[in-house]
Amino acid sequence: MRKLAVFILIAFFAISIFPAGSYAQAQKVYKIGGIFSLTGYLSWLGEYKKKAAELKVELINKAGGINGIPLQLISYDDTSSPEQASKVAQRLISKDNVVAMAGTASVPISGAVASMANRYKIPTIINSGYAVDTAKDPFLFNTSHKTDFAVVTAFRYFQKKGITKLALLMPIGPLGELGSNVARKYAQEYKITIVGEEKFDVKAPDVTSQLAKIRTMNPQAVFSFTTGEPAALIARNMEQLNLKVPFLVSHGNANPGFLKLVANINTEILVPSGKVMKPDALSDNDPTKKKILEFNKSHMEKYKEPANYFSAELADAIDLIVEGLKITKSADPVKLRDAIEGIKNYPAMQGVYTFTAKDHHGTKPDDMILLTIKQGKWEIPK
Amino acid sequence: MNDVSHIIQFLFSGITTGSIYALIAVSLVIVYKASQLICFAQGEFFVFGALSMITLTSKGLPMPIAFFAAVFISVCIGSLIQQVLIKPIQGSSVGNLIVMTIAISLALRGLALIIWGRESYILNPYTKGEPLFVFGASLQIQVLWIVGITILVLLIIWYFFEKTSLGIAMRACAENPLGASLMGISVQKSALFAWAWGAGIGALAGAVVAPLLFIQYTSGVMPMIKGFIAMSIGGLGSIAGSVMAGFLLGLVESYTIGLISSKFSDTIVFALLMLVLIFRPNGLFSKS
Repeated sequence: MRKLAVFILIAFFAISIFPAGSYAQAQKVYKIGGIFSLTGYLSWLGEYKKKAAELKVELINKAGGINGIPLQLISYDDTSSPEQASKVAQRLISKDNVVAMAGTASVPISGAVASMANRYKIPTIINSGYAVDTAKDPFLFNTSHKTDFAVVTAFRYFQKKGITKLALLMPIGPLGELGSNVARKYAQEYKITIVGEEKFDVKAPDVTSQLAKIRTMNPQAVFSFTTGEPAALIARNMEQLNLKVPFLVSHGNANPGFLKLVANINTEILVPSGKVMKPDALSDNDPTKKKILEFNKSHMEKYKEPANYFSAELADAIDLIVEGLKITKSADPVKLRDAIEGIKNYPAMQGVYTFTAKDHHGTKPDDMILLTIKQGKWEIPK
Repeated sequence: MNDVSHIIQFLFSGITTGSIYALIAVSLVIVYKASQLICFAQGEFFVFGALSMITLTSKGLPMPIAFFAAVFISVCIGSLIQQVLIKPIQGSSVGNLIVMTIAISLALRGLALIIWGRESYILNPYTKGEPLFVFGASLQIQVLWIVGITILVLLIIWYFFEKTSLGIAMRACAENPLGASLMGISVQKSALFAWAWGAGIGALAGAVVAPLLFIQYTSGVMPMIKGFIAMSIGGLGSIAGSVMAGFLLGLVESYTIGLISSKFSDTIVFALLMLVLIFRPNGLFSKS
């Protein structure tokens, strides 16, 4: 019995010291680094991303890897902090020798990882509101739709509905500034007047003071570029104040967690999203439909829930790295970057990607749809 | 909506946030009053109270039973922590004790992550119904519950510390542990009671405030910081002072947002804290 216990202990330590990768090391393997917020205030979305990345790697390896070479995902928790994200990025690059990185969940975290990616010349596909400037961030790509696209998608709807007066309620910090700047950038084009702007702390337990002030501006809609709990709190406080106008939030809310948070709130919420959230509304000749349906099916089988916006971002990130590796047939990060930049008309879940030397987002406004919530379900607003 | 309803709306917003700060501040003061220690794990008792109540009500338990059970769970956790982790290092420096409470805070947060995962939870208000409208300003009914329960808790605490021999003994232990023990008062028992009380009130705050928020395992950080500021403004050992400071903090935040700008609400709160620390170091409402 004692011997058996010792054997199990040794086996356990052997497994934990020499992870799956060391076997693969004997043969060739492409290592991809994953940076996910698994603890801290962004942990609710980090988990979706990690699960999607793991599933995608599993599916690719099951299908024979890349020209016979398997992928290996090495992921770390950035604890929702840019400092920690920077540390784990460094570890992935210098210790784990990854060929590319994927992940990150917020603008500051993406910024921290971007500087590492550029310094060490490692192609990195982020997924957040961070706007990639290719002159500054040549090694960075982003599978999250540009904030501009999300705003344009909503503003087109506002124009259709005759909504011309918009109030902004933005979180204090870079995300709020981004949302505010983009809204102001497109307001004139869509004949929208920004009637006023208020700020709030994302950790605040109540925003009725700000909303009471906004109510005096008589807006026809309110826009807050925020995600998760603060967005749900605003929706709840709007209902409480009888402020019955549409409430536009960021595209980061296109996930089941947010749907649960606002289940009992009657405010009309508008969420720009990728097509992954409403595959049944897509026409059969939509080039993204096939990939969305296939991945959704595997996601349902493995996790018993459909893929969401965050899952699609990560699935696409892995897909694009794989496509780059197929083209270069080498693990040289600089060649891989060039290969990804060369990808044109590549249909994936978030849209049809066409990268150029000046555009590392690759998608376009038409790759997005606008959603609202009716009786606890995502619907296309009429 | 006219100017009057504006001013009243800011008042209601201030009372809403202030009530959260006040209850947490009270739980901090209780532990401090009886053991001269600032417990940085109060935010976690807040989370445990809220999430336990949410879990218990979702299992079909009636609200009042779930409420008392949630408080009781934290009382047990608080007592256990005092016995196992605080008692052995009771005699060491205040620095060591504070570091220990920070470690306890992180450990409890980790435990909450394991039990409840990363998602946010919602608790229905104690009583259903539309918010109350006063001169065009709205007030959630749950806020009345919070204010009512806060007043009740204050009365119980006042009675306990002023009128019962156990409460007086606890105060004596905090002021002069050696003298109290020479008088036959058990300092250990007193510390145990303080932790049980502190954890219980922290959990009570979470359970009663939960319907206003979306609670997840990290939700204790903000109330803890603001509760601590309220405690500092109100005077470290003063229960009534910290309650008033909690509401004052909520009102200052709300009126700053409403009348000046939302950009300055934190700046003004911290400026107030600094002014109090410089000019009234014993607390804004202290006699000296």
